[in-house]
Amino acid sequence: MSEDIKVDLELDLKGLLCPMPMVKVSQKIGDVPVGGVIRAVATDPGSMADIPAWAKSTGNEVLSAGKEGDEYVFLVKRAK
Amino acid sequence: MEPQQVDTLTGVLDKKMTRQLKQYLDICARCAICKDACHQYVATGDLTYLPARRAELIRQIYKKYFTKTGEFVPALYEARDPDESLLDELYESTYACTGCRRCMYYCPFSIDTAWILSVAKAILIAADRGNEMLGQLADAALMKSDNFDMFRDIILDGFKDIEGKVKEMTGDPSAEIPVDKEGADVLYVALAGAHSILPAAAIFHEAGTNWTLSMFESANYGYFFGDAEKARRIADRFMDEAKRLGVKEVVITECGHAYRVAQFFHEAWSGEKHPFKVRHILEVIDEYIRDGRITVRHGAITEPVTYHDPCQVGRNGGIFEQPRDIVRAIASDFRDMTPNREEQWCCGGGGGLVAIAEMEDFRLKSGAKKLEQVKATGARIIASPCENCRLQLEGLNDQLDLGLTVKPVMDLVVDAMEIRR
Ligand code: SF4
Ligand code: SF4
Repeated sequence: MSEDIKVDLELDLKGLLCPMPMVKVSQKIGDVPVGGVIRAVATDPGSMADIPAWAKSTGNEVLSAGKEGDEYVFLVKRAK
Repeated sequence: MEPQQVDTLTGVLDKKMTRQLKQYLDICARCAICKDACHQYVATGDLTYLPARRAELIRQIYKKYFTKTGEFVPALYEARDPDESLLDELYESTYACTGCRRCMYYCPFSIDTAWILSVAKAILIAADRGNEMLGQLADAALMKSDNFDMFRDIILDGFKDIEGKVKEMTGDPSAEIPVDKEGADVLYVALAGAHSILPAAAIFHEAGTNWTLSMFESANYGYFFGDAEKARRIADRFMDEAKRLGVKEVVITECGHAYRVAQFFHEAWSGEKHPFKVRHILEVIDEYIRDGRITVRHGAITEPVTYHDPCQVGRNGGIFEQPRDIVRAIASDFRDMTPNREEQWCCGGGGGLVAIAEMEDFRLKSGAKKLEQVKATGARIIASPCENCRLQLEGLNDQLDLGLTVKPVMDLVVDAMEIRR
């Protein structure tokens, strides 16, 4: 499904320790237009709860979050 | 500004007005001794960051609304309304402060500028001018606990991934990360990141501790944001867990502000005495080494090592010797910085500043004193038990390509620990 989604910004968050992956997504969400999508790749397992929690509390949307090998991959859509 | 808004903001100040705060606001002699104590003022020479000047903005509102002379002859007493221009200045000087309290240490009257600025944050939040990023991070933490059913399995899956690494690290397939364990002696409260769980799990395992890992992280952005209610609720998440599990002790990971919140603020905020002890992980590890519950190899590190006292662990937390004892037990060449302990320079990374993108240049610039200190030791490794400090120290290291290694103290312990199996 994720292949159909146009990604506006790729964020490499590998090696960053929580909560920095969430912080970086939050800092960069303004760089994509409303409705735009960030694809973020992190390696800290804490990001699997942090990024969706941040999205839910800020009204943004996590289209998908999943583990691929040792990486955690997120598609985050800017909602407003 | 609408009179109603002025009422709201002065109302916040009124609510926070204790005898202690009033004394801080009345007593400042404007001697400016604090200017040489603040790493931010020293590095920039900008009056915005002079501690007494930051507090002066709150003093100006205080004079206008809480003293008779200021009310009647405001110009003479520099009394001011909390108008937009004052709030602009207040935002700049307040959210830049790391809360290191080095200014208080040197002030002849022990004026706690960081406390005055905690009142400034409450005023800014009431004016809807709280720092957005810090507010978002506080809300995200509460989102996890308020919707725990939604996050529980995700959090547990993360712990399982880390557990696999603990087994590898200890070489023991029975090593585990216990969660939600009633009757455990210790509730360990980590950060959301694996790096704060993995070494502690290996150390607890080796020491034979009956422990359990908190489902929640100890980092508290509500505290940095300046919202006491949110800060309390963020800490309640693991304090309630500790009560429910009946642990004897809550152990906070290598973090400065989280330790200070748990040890010094939470009881006052919640109005309840904790039925357990609170300790920093390095107090516990030092005890394990002294009692022979874990063994570390002296000389495991031969490169020169220095130790940075995070302000919230050292000056404001009173923990100076245990981390040094641990580092000395491992490193054959330990070199303390000058000055150190209570007088240690703030690295510039506290107060939540590492999360605020627009402050990055300023933050790195403010680390000038710390850099001088580190360079003077000739150390190649900096050990420091605070995530914010480490991010700042790494930033300084990268910016100047110094080739230093910045490490949590726990990582040094794990590298030097003799696994007995
Ligand atoms: S050192 Fe203390 S008394 Fe002197 S200016 Fe600073 S805050 Fe005021
Ligand atoms: S607490 Fe630290 S950063 Fe804040 S004004 Fe005082 S010395 Fe400066």
